[in-house]
Amino acid sequence: MVNFYKPTKLKEVLDILSKEVVTPYAGGTDLMIDPDENASYLFINKVQEMKNIVEDKEYIRIGAACTYTDIIENKLIPEVLKEAVSQIAAPAIRNLGTVGGNICNGSPKADSALIFFAADSKLRIVSSRGEKVIPIIDFYLGRKKLALEKDELLVEILMNKNGLNNYYYKKVGARKALAISRVSFVGIINTAGDKIIDCRTAFGAVSDVIIRREKIDAIFIGKTFEEAKALKDKYLAAYEQEIIPIRGRVSAEYRKTVCMNLLRDFLESNGI
Amino acid sequence: MIKFNLNGKEVISSSKENERLLDVLRNEFSITGVKCGCKEGECGACSVILDGRLVNSCMVALGNIEESTIVTIEGYRETKRFDVLDKAYASVSAVQCGFCIPGMILASECILDKNPNPTEDEIREGISGNLCRCTGYNAIVKAISIAAKEGQGLW
Repeated sequence: MVNFYKPTKLKEVLDILSKEVVTPYAGGTDLMIDPDENASYLFINKVQEMKNIVEDKEYIRIGAACTYTDIIENKLIPEVLKEAVSQIAAPAIRNLGTVGGNICNGSPKADSALIFFAADSKLRIVSSRGEKVIPIIDFYLGRKKLALEKDELLVEILMNKNGLNNYYYKKVGARKALAISRVSFVGIINTAGDKIIDCRTAFGAVSDVIIRREKIDAIFIGKTFEEAKALKDKYLAAYEQEIIPIRGRVSAEYRKTVCMNLLRDFLESNGI
Repeated sequence: MIKFNLNGKEVISSSKENERLLDVLRNEFSITGVKCGCKEGECGACSVILDGRLVNSCMVALGNIEESTIVTIEGYRETKRFDVLDKAYASVSAVQCGFCIPGMILASECILDKNPNPTEDEIREGISGNLCRCTGYNAIVKAISIAAKEGQGLW
């Protein structure tokens, strides 16, 4: 039996999720490409509690049902996320597609998820049983495999407010608009005095899950730029080992080469 | 039953909630200015304005538009803004086969509604989801900039 639900309150959404087998439908731009006739949709685009963008002391809290356009037009959103989101698809898709959908579709090509990885964002996942806040890296278990129970819903993304200004972002696609990333990369570096206090990188569209390796990035932390330069080969060699691309529309060799070129360019543009 | 406003009129659809808005408009309401090009959100031929924003109607399930407002080319052609765009497109021969044009006109409206004096880059960005296989886009871009000049005060 196919049913459709159009709740307007989060509590109703969670109640339905706990009792019925449904597919949450926010923007629909992934679901409608290959619609499942037998799916019962839980329409959540009119749930106001999932459409807010607010800030607290630590985080910018982004409702999972915010569209890409909502992100681009909001003053609280860091520039790095705006830049990535404004390169997704085209205006008519950005007016529908949501960040929650981008994350929950489970693809390593999700351009907004890449930024959330590099920003060490957290996800607030709620069910009628309670709620949990987990780092986005723990949400992805494999290709299309998420740490999300049937009755749970991603309600909010918690993005760190600070330390995202000095970023490097590149999306490599076949064309400027309506392009699915062939490789995407983001790097963020922060310094205090002459020391690197923060280095965060993430690679999208390469492997089953977005690649984020804190241990490798830690090679540079606490180092001066001179010391970082001396450690550069070690750093690049470590990523050379970790980046194991899958073959898709483009070859694995191409993906690997582009990843390493972007990583080098990111370092060089920061004087490393 | 889904109730929404279609081109200024309150309507109730008896189609299933998982049907594409594109199919509902064409089959149930005989709104054939909404064209089907790809059903993948890539071509923009099925563009409509949903609550003031351009969307691909092939990417919208009917259940998602309860109480919303939809404008298609059939409704938009009754406006003064349409007259300005119509003349501007004609003046530079920006229409060839015409299949993309309903969507292209609605994309033009959304560009000018947001920004009455767009730069060429902003125009190109605004129509980046609307494919045209005839014109090569230059005439369309020119038409939109002419409409911006001619339609001062309308947007």
